[in-house]
Amino acid sequence: MENTVKNITYDALVIGAGIAGGETALNLANTGYKVLLVDKELSVGGKMIMLSKVFPTLDCAACITTPKVSEISRHPNITIFTGSEVGKIRKLSDNEFVAQVTRQPRYVHVEDCTACQLCEKACPVNVRDQYQFGLIGRKAAFIPFSICSPKAAAIDIENCTLCGACEKACPTNCIDFTMEVETMELHVKTVVIATGFNLFNAEKMPRYGYGVYKNVITAQQMERELAPTRPFNTVLRPSDGKVPDKIAYVLCVGSRDASIGNPVCSQICCMYSIKQAQLLMGTLPMADVTIYYINIRSFGKGFEEFYEQAKGMGVNFVKGKIGRISEKENGNLILRYEDINEGKLQEAEHDMVILSTGVLPNTGIDKFFENQKLQLDPYDFVAQSDMLVSPSKTSIDGVFVAGTATGPMDIPDSILSAGAASSEAISYLIQQS
Amino acid sequence: MEVEKGKTAKYLREKLGGMPEKAKENLKEFNGIKKLMLDALKEEDLTVKQMSEKINMPTDQVMYYLMSLVKYGFVKTGDIDDMDEYYTYKLNK
Repeated sequence: MENTVKNITYDALVIGAGIAGGETALNLANTGYKVLLVDKELSVGGKMIMLSKVFPTLDCAACITTPKVSEISRHPNITIFTGSEVGKIRKLSDNEFVAQVTRQPRYVHVEDCTACQLCEKACPVNVRDQYQFGLIGRKAAFIPFSICSPKAAAIDIENCTLCGACEKACPTNCIDFTMEVETMELHVKTVVIATGFNLFNAEKMPRYGYGVYKNVITAQQMERELAPTRPFNTVLRPSDGKVPDKIAYVLCVGSRDASIGNPVCSQICCMYSIKQAQLLMGTLPMADVTIYYINIRSFGKGFEEFYEQAKGMGVNFVKGKIGRISEKENGNLILRYEDINEGKLQEAEHDMVILSTGVLPNTGIDKFFENQKLQLDPYDFVAQSDMLVSPSKTSIDGVFVAGTATGPMDIPDSILSAGAASSEAISYLIQQS
Repeated sequence: MEVEKGKTAKYLREKLGGMPEKAKENLKEFNGIKKLMLDALKEEDLTVKQMSEKINMPTDQVMYYLMSLVKYGFVKTGDIDDMDEYYTYKLNK
């Protein structure tokens, strides 16, 4: 059974609570507008909150994100719906949209949960932890990750045995299996799309062996291995727990490649790979790290220096395109590649390979709108109708876009984009009133 | 229907007609593997490879389950071998 609550009004609906959505919501809320921030995940913070460090400063990502997330969570003008998705949005008039939001049950009353983790301890279930990209398990009653917000448990109902151990252990009786899906119809005056991006699924390039060879992992998985809340005690091979000493990065996996339908550069892969290479050299000082690249695009402020710093630290850069990866019996990997500088085919052995996967659009955003057409660009990102003058304007008046929903960009650019989106949304709200 | 606080799992279990089959199977498998691993570690500290040979399970699966047991506090990380390649794991007594 579904509960339907109607006629709740907000000034702005921000879809996506990553760094761009969060920044947009904060700017709007600080100006006095009532904001509804919706995210499908159990925590706000998006992809950034899961990072170890950021480039090119190597600042701790959590140290930057956590205060921001805390400010968003405590702001009196921001209402947050996590575990929720926007269904349909209908434009009724110039400053009136009706949005349907579906909230999945968390089976925990967030306001009563103290995040004591006693439910987690009592839960007998073990399933792959999606927040550690499957490298380790988690319970069915679980806190998503240590710096999540809201910091509260959730029940993974699909994997729950309904044994009731979590309820018995809970000192505040906040676990409630009677919770049901809620569908709400909300009235808002403006909408900001900050739905972020998807990363390329490396399984779509079988020649790299991702999902088959256990020591071929994605850069997102390596990001977790390097984070303070890492799944293992140090960087280890997922196949057998060996400390790797010859690590390769393969750049442009799923980007700049028309054969898999994504000819554009993802803009962040070069730099996050160089960042990880530097972090790896700090974690495993004896390791050899090689980056196989087509071109290094170090275009931002401090990026070229960051690249030079990596070279100075001993990261080996090979201008080469990987044709195929195969596995040896001991789990080591043979990379067959075209050495672009030498014009030769070469082979190299590594004991771990990291695929730097590209940025793809979060598809389906245009389906939100019932009676209006949201234009997408040729690569399925949200089209900016006036990119130079009003970069967050979309084809629908009153609907704005922020961050990587418009195309690949790094964190500072996402925050700048969020600033533009919130300014334009505020300007729109003022004009309409 | 009035459901007693703290006993709502029973309510959902009855509503769904029992424990979900997939979750039950998963729990059974995990409990079996956990017992095998903890019994093996009672005898001696082991690396992932040694554990794999002892309980006859692929090393990548051993890695996943063993690291989960470390996370849950049943097992702890021991020393690294002389080649600085493999850690041993031991019971967290």
